[in-house]
Amino acid sequence: MPVKNRLAEMQEDIAQWRRHLHAHPELRFEEHETAGFVAEKLREFGCDEVVEGVGGTGVVGVIRGQGGGNRAIAFRADMDALPINEATGAPHASTRPGKMHACGHDGHTAMLLGAAKYLAETRNFDGSVVLLFQPAEEGGGGARAMVEAGVMDRWNVAEVYGLHNWPGMPVGHFAMRPGPQMAAPDKFEILVRGKGGHGAMPHLAVDTVLAASQIVQALQSIASRNVDPLENVVVSICGFRSESDTYNVLPDSVTLKGTVRTLKPEVQKLVRERMEALARLTAQAHGAEAELTYIADRVVLVNDPQGVENAAHAARRISDAVETEMTPVMGGEDFADMLNARPGAYIFIGNGASADLHNPKYEFNDEAIPFGTSWFAELAETRMPLG
Amino acid sequence: MPVKNRFAELHGEITEWRRDIHQHPEILFDTHRTSALVAEKLREFGCDEVVEGIGRTGVVGVIRGKSDKSGRVIGLRADMDALPMTEATGLDYASKTPGAMHACGHDGHTAMLLGTAKYLAETRNFDGTAVMIFQPAEEGGGGGKEMCDDGMMKRWGIHEVYGMHNWPGKPVGSFAIRSGPFFAATDMFNITFEGLGGHAAKPHETVDTTVMAAQAVTALQTIASRNADPVDRIVVSVTSFETSSKAFNVIPQRVEIKGTVRTMSPEMRDLAEKRISEICQGIAATFGGQAEIDYIRGYPVMENHPEQTDFAIEVAKSISGDCDEAPLVMGGEDFAFMLEERPGAYILLGNGDTAMVHHPKYNFNDEAIPTGCSWLAEVVEKRMPAA
Repeated sequence: MPVKNRLAEMQEDIAQWRRHLHAHPELRFEEHETAGFVAEKLREFGCDEVVEGVGGTGVVGVIRGQGGGNRAIAFRADMDALPINEATGAPHASTRPGKMHACGHDGHTAMLLGAAKYLAETRNFDGSVVLLFQPAEEGGGGARAMVEAGVMDRWNVAEVYGLHNWPGMPVGHFAMRPGPQMAAPDKFEILVRGKGGHGAMPHLAVDTVLAASQIVQALQSIASRNVDPLENVVVSICGFRSESDTYNVLPDSVTLKGTVRTLKPEVQKLVRERMEALARLTAQAHGAEAELTYIADRVVLVNDPQGVENAAHAARRISDAVETEMTPVMGGEDFADMLNARPGAYIFIGNGASADLHNPKYEFNDEAIPFGTSWFAELAETRMPLG
Repeated sequence: MPVKNRFAELHGEITEWRRDIHQHPEILFDTHRTSALVAEKLREFGCDEVVEGIGRTGVVGVIRGKSDKSGRVIGLRADMDALPMTEATGLDYASKTPGAMHACGHDGHTAMLLGTAKYLAETRNFDGTAVMIFQPAEEGGGGGKEMCDDGMMKRWGIHEVYGMHNWPGKPVGSFAIRSGPFFAATDMFNITFEGLGGHAAKPHETVDTTVMAAQAVTALQTIASRNADPVDRIVVSVTSFETSSKAFNVIPQRVEIKGTVRTMSPEMRDLAEKRISEICQGIAATFGGQAEIDYIRGYPVMENHPEQTDFAIEVAKSISGDCDEAPLVMGGEDFAFMLEERPGAYILLGNGDTAMVHHPKYNFNDEAIPTGCSWLAEVVEKRMPAA
């Protein structure tokens, strides 16, 4: 059985909610209107509990099934947008300059709302469905905030599931994998300090632009030479800024910043150690100093094997195109913190041939809505079947 | 005769002017406060003519000697502008303007010429006319050239020009000079590397301009190390490197680097321009990107005229007993333009054991004031001796 009929009927409504959210994007922890909209809808649907202000601006909805059991599984959708200028020209494009739903979180939120409406109407399960609408996925740690606010314990959550739209994969397709699926996105800053001076008297200065350039090059060897070629790693230097911006003053310092992506703690450790040594010693070779600040406060997103089986089982009730051994992805996803707290799975659903995520021309594909909403509905009914 | 007594008397006052100028640094042609202060003082001293707005914000003060049988006109020049840098001296009269600093002693040059003007207006012990030239925008703006283009030399019938620069590393009270080519030709370059920006976790879908530009910085070192004739002189410094984005997880679309080239001969100057272009375009192509080079020829080589240099040495020796032969300086000095218009000489004045010019901890040494003022005054009195 593919997409549930009821959900096909609701399609236009859900798409309208999505476009409304799309036109009013809010950045991390500023999702007041979005959260307000979500909470209002959940109450309208008849949820048994609706709690706002969880983990900052997060919203939790609870729907108790007909069965009356006390098992609970959670579904999560993220609500925040990105600081990007929309360039789609769509009629429902962002009305807020400098802000855009460029990652489809509007779609995720709308799909979970659609599933909530359906589940509140039908309640064909034995236990509770806990709906987690979280803030600040984009770099704000909203998932961790909700976990630390105690959502898992408070509602006795046994398993947690989430999804992400995926450009490049056809609508109606699902993909997932057991084990590490998305990378831990570490951040780093390297402060290279030398001795500033006159651009015409390099011999009296210690050239930090040159030293930093050499460090950029040295860091390329981590991926090319240090990490086992069968493992996955990315080391990207994304910011390089000299502390002064003149034609004739050799700057006193240069700041490099960037990101590291790994799928395994031992690889992450190796990268960090090599980065520290390469930066320090390369700088030293030039008579300069380099100080590394490495921020590893996020975890690899690891799907538990049983969670993947459950997710795949629900997906197969909707679609024949379910991939369970997808290649891992080096992007980060803070749902990893929820999977750290409870078993479950995070899956990808096809968004068709849209522009890439975070691209100013990205568009969430409303045709994917029935697949997302059906998947949540199927999960509830298959994980907590009525007796 | 060493330092003039009058300057020992005026030392405190001139120091106060210097420190006031130090506290209010102005960049390039924006020397409004400094120029106004100079004009006010020149009028106060009783100069025969004070004209503002030469070379946009430059000021000229004319002092006629007791007599004018010779018909000679001698110009003395000081620069007024500061640098776009952050002061790190911790002085109580440190810059009040964030991002601007008198890091080259132009505050000292201006104060010393003002002190000299006061003395000459009081004593007028010469036969002819002394022209006090206060120019803006020495640091890369060609303020001296603008004053020349405004017809300054012709307007006041100037026959010769003299100037002075403080020199860290030489003891206070000492001088140095050389005849012929002295300060380097100074060029600037702006190079924009264009690649393909994207997500930092997907480097294979980008053309990484940071890595490209870093390679270029390294390769540019070979111009001095491998292409230039080792017995000629050249400096190629990359002084600014900035990625077009500063996020932790975005590979920038563009990187801009800037810098300076210093040469003492046309052959080396042409070689540098050619190699910079070849290297940057070649490296960009190697990595699948593009480089756009903007090479800006700046000041010409500053050449001291032999006869006036000998005279300058004579004056220096009469004040401090000695005058050293200065080595070639790879710094640029826009007094070069005035020396292309009229014969003259530029001399170095010991600033003691301070930080180098253009360093955040540099400070003009007020102890040098009496010596500097004495030299300037003596140039006028000895070049146009009273009948």
